Amino acid sequence: MLLEVSERTQFGGVVIIRDTSSYSGRHLLKYYINCALKREEDVHVLGFEVPEQELRAGLDSNYMHLFHFHNAYIDPLGWTKQSSFTVKQFNTADVTRLVREIQHAKASILVIDSLSWVIRHHNPVAICQQLQELKRGGSVRMIFGLLHTDLHQQGIVDSISHLASTVISVTSVNHAHNAVAKTMHRKKSGKVMREEEFFTVKDDLTLSVEKRPSQSGHVQMQPDTKADPMSNLTFNLRLSEVERVAKEKVALPFVFSQEKKSALLKQSQGSGRIIYEPDASDDFDEEDPDDDLDV
Amino acid sequence: MFPDLNSILSSSPDNFREREFILLSDRQADASFLIHHYLTFYLRARCKVCFLGLVQSFSHYSVVSQRLGVNLNQAKEKGQLVFLEGLKASPRVLLNEDTSDTTHTFDYLRSPCAELRGLFEFVCNSLSQGGSEAGGEPWAPPVLIIDDLSVLLSLGVSAGAILDFTHYCQATVCSQLQGSIVALVRCDDEEWDEESSSYLLKALTHQCSLSLRVEGLSTGYCRDIHGQVEIWRRGRAEENQRRVFQYKVHDKGASFFAPGTSRAVL
Repeated sequence: MLLEVSERTQFGGVVIIRDTSSYSGRHLLKYYINCALKREEDVHVLGFEVPEQELRAGLDSNYMHLFHFHNAYIDPLGWTKQSSFTVKQFNTADVTRLVREIQHAKASILVIDSLSWVIRHHNPVAICQQLQELKRGGSVRMIFGLLHTDLHQQGIVDSISHLASTVISVTSVNHAHNAVAKTMHRKKSGKVMREEEFFTVKDDLTLSVEKRPSQSGHVQMQPDTKADPMSNLTFNLRLSEVERVAKEKVALPFVFSQEKKSALLKQSQGSGRIIYEPDASDDFDEEDPDDDLDV
Repeated sequence: MFPDLNSILSSSPDNFREREFILLSDRQADASFLIHHYLTFYLRARCKVCFLGLVQSFSHYSVVSQRLGVNLNQAKEKGQLVFLEGLKASPRVLLNEDTSDTTHTFDYLRSPCAELRGLFEFVCNSLSQGGSEAGGEPWAPPVLIIDDLSVLLSLGVSAGAILDFTHYCQATVCSQLQGSIVALVRCDDEEWDEESSSYLLKALTHQCSLSLRVEGLSTGYCRDIHGQVEIWRRGRAEENQRRVFQYKVHDKGASFFAPGTSRAVL
């Protein structure tokens, strides 16, 4: 499913890549950017967290004219007066204007690196609203966002994920450079598809997906053909038909079965009757205290 | 500087990576010996160093660096080291006695403005001036060392403001000036909330390129092994690897060894 994410042609799709400090989702994000460039789509990146050269590294150089990096890394808050894009400009109107200004190709993709940075400076509710408006606005075909789940409360992570049509959660496997991605895709019909895949993204941004890791750390399952344990013994452990029937008939001593119950509750006739005559000071209650027992 | 650590990180004063964001952190241990390592390392490497000393006085670092073979006073006079003495200046600012221009640096001590923009401007001014040694050769790429960031949390600065400050420092020092940053964050075992040092540590881990985490031994105090350090190089897809070493701090340095190979044991 990881490979299919970028190929979907629906409008208004939001893909959220969720990562933690143990494995960065940026490699996967760069893979999707590369795919979009190769499909000759305009890619607009709102870069808050990493500088431009780090994001450009590895991308296909033939399509760099379609890659537009809006630099919010150098001066996102306006402190040094060199800002190209500030965090305050993260709103529907400004972003739409940015995207429409440079539109060479047939469709535009918006990449937000990262949403966690924006959430630190804006109200999460406002961000959800703006993402929703951008989704429906029609100026971008897809929105990709990177979210660091370990920096926010669960509620905020869930609200943003709820907006998305696809959520990919990446974690590392045993601290190796293999990683596992849990993808959840919500189709327009309402059907939800989930898949868990092991993947690696190399430096040249090639993605290789496997169903299970190459060096499996898990114990191999026992082979199904078990040897018959009763074959090489000097004594006989097998049961004949008659013996098996008799064995199943044996009443186990401490099991309270139907026959035992009826034997205990049967009233004995004749000998064994108890006649009790209470004294004057006795508090004789005719009621049976065990009446409510379901025995 | 510690030769053991240099060989583990494959770096030396003549040959080290540039544009690094090195995050030092500790939990129930004291990672400040690593600060002394990096201070002496970068001074030996002829880098221009801006040191934000918010928890100890200048003489403390001077005495320790003397033992490691570097003279801080000389470095300061030459212009190689710019030292911000947080402890000395803070009372003057708090009591409103200091009326010079430099009090803008300590804006974070005044409420309601708990922003670190003034501190960032101080860093900018000290490192972007460049300058050169008396012999005419310019200094190597600048380095910012911060000891430590978690004390700012106790002074009332929000974690978000600290993260903005480190972002700006990284953008200026690492990307523009091609230098490096070394920052120390100290964690207690407190509850995770959005203003705790654990949150700050997590957020900075996302930003950093090299993380050194110092912890005490899980089995308790030991005379010969003072703790363990986890070295984690982040960044490129194929480089993600973590290694654990144990260490012992001596009078004139520290030794690092693989777990279980302490000289007292072998």
